[in-house]
Amino acid sequence: MKLLAAPLASMVAALLLAALPLVTSSNYVIGIGLSALIFTVAAAALNLIYGYTGLLSFAQLGFWGIGGYATALTVVTFGGNFWWGLLWAALVNAVLAIVVGYPTLRTNRHAFVIVTLTFALLVTLIARDWVSLTRGPLGIPNLPAPEAFGHRFAGTAQFYWVAWAFSVAMLGFLYALCSSRIGRTLVAIKQNEPLVRAQGIAPVPYKLAAFAISAAITGAAGGVYCFHLGIIDPLFLDFYYMQTFLIIVIIGGAGSFWGVVVAGVVMSALPELLRFSEDLRMVIYGAILVVAMFVMPSGAAGWLRERQLLRMREHVR
Amino acid sequence: MTVDATYLVQLTLNGIALGLLYALIAVGLSLIFGVMEIINFAHGELLMLGAFAMAFVLPVTGLLYWPALAAAILAIMLVGWAIYEVLLVRLRTDEFERSILITLGLSIILIHLMQYFFTATPRLVDTQYGFNGVEIGSIRITWTRVIGAGAALAAFAGLYLVLRYTQFGRAMRAIAQNREAALMVGIRPRVVARNAVVLAAGLCGLAGAAIAPIQLVTPYMGQFLIFKAFALVIIGGLGNIPGAIAAAIGLGLIESWIGGFFEIAWQEGAVFVIMIVVLFLRPDGLFKKGGMRVG
Repeated sequence: MKLLAAPLASMVAALLLAALPLVTSSNYVIGIGLSALIFTVAAAALNLIYGYTGLLSFAQLGFWGIGGYATALTVVTFGGNFWWGLLWAALVNAVLAIVVGYPTLRTNRHAFVIVTLTFALLVTLIARDWVSLTRGPLGIPNLPAPEAFGHRFAGTAQFYWVAWAFSVAMLGFLYALCSSRIGRTLVAIKQNEPLVRAQGIAPVPYKLAAFAISAAITGAAGGVYCFHLGIIDPLFLDFYYMQTFLIIVIIGGAGSFWGVVVAGVVMSALPELLRFSEDLRMVIYGAILVVAMFVMPSGAAGWLRERQLLRMREHVR
Repeated sequence: MTVDATYLVQLTLNGIALGLLYALIAVGLSLIFGVMEIINFAHGELLMLGAFAMAFVLPVTGLLYWPALAAAILAIMLVGWAIYEVLLVRLRTDEFERSILITLGLSIILIHLMQYFFTATPRLVDTQYGFNGVEIGSIRITWTRVIGAGAALAAFAGLYLVLRYTQFGRAMRAIAQNREAALMVGIRPRVVARNAVVLAAGLCGLAGAAIAPIQLVTPYMGQFLIFKAFALVIIGGLGNIPGAIAAAIGLGLIESWIGGFFEIAWQEGAVFVIMIVVLFLRPDGLFKKGGMRVG
């Protein structure tokens, strides 16, 4: 009974989310729902590399932007369609992740954090300065709505289904991955790398694979999101997105799949509530980050787990 | 393309001045990493605050350069002290990721508070020197750049003497080399860490104050510089101070040359490409052997 509860609950939740455009006709509300879905996917991808594998990657922001640009350019400049664009976004990012990850993962995890951070900022600068490809600060406006089976997903309500299908597929994949032997190996690498080596497992291929998968999914998520916005410009690489992903993972609990998913849906709605001042909103975000790191460094899921352990201990006593 | 000798020398001198300012930031990061094994993400914001402090103090002192510089450095040292006592003191040495996330939050707060109160409009900072400069033949450098570079050099000389010959500096090196052994001979990590953070903040305040009259002052100026400083710390080897200085001057020169002859996109890309290549060839940074391991 208990075994079935989690998949059942998540299926019900997914179906309820799918029905959102039927319940409301407000594009504003549907737009928030769409952002929540996409941000949750990106945060879950960050969770794979940070929460499970223990490597803090700021490169997610770069992958998010490259994914957006790759999808937009496939459609606008190279004459492909949206779906090929997503595929390209995932592929380009996976390759980049391996190129950047391989030299970096040979060193320590400190170097990894810093290199990924510089990578993210570099992508921002390139998006702004490589005008002949990205059209610089002007960006690429009027991204067309995608088509499938002769149906055109125009408008926020229609596009919501695309984002929904994408998110459910990606979250399902990530869940399967994280709860598989591979996922457990990643956790083992995070907890005790020497022990993993002693068991005859080479950690670097696992880390690289986790980084590449996380990059590919983040890139595809960026591709979907920029078609929701309808335009891509260097603002798509605003550090704000990285902060959102990070805060979702940290509040939800790094290394907890469902914690991050729930936090993703809740935290994506929060900035809308805080929208009274653009600048102060970011100040509040920063404050949430700092306070969360002190009060519950392992997130809501970690906090609940600790409480449960405490209760069990008292029970035994 | 014909290479004009004057142009080349001009680029080189600008590159050295730029590199020295990068070095001030990178050295602070290295110092904090060496002593506490954490990375201060808000380091660029300390520089930004230094530049703003300079911008606010200069009109009060009647555009006099030196008193304003001193005031800015003192102010940023105080900020560094506050950051240490409120936030960083709660971190243990093995909490690298946590340190980054906490200082990242701090950096967001600082940037947006400054933007909220003083707007994002770039400020031009005027000093008693204005745009006057020294001219050697056909080469011309503004006084503010010369003084900035000179102050940076003086700061490095001072830092070297402090780390090498004073109890204050020896304690820092001891903690960086062997924490447990340092504890056993009675060195208090908490005090040393505070000193290191305050010292690094002071260097950063100096960099910010020196940059203020050269560049436009905005709440975002720290972000672009910190990204380079991070790369430099990796290239020079984490926690290696002379390595960071050498890498910084090298980068300043390379950027200046590339900026003089190629498109601007290459200038920004250079630092990243260099970093990846260095990591490929020498994972522990270019200057692993020799030199003074932080202190």
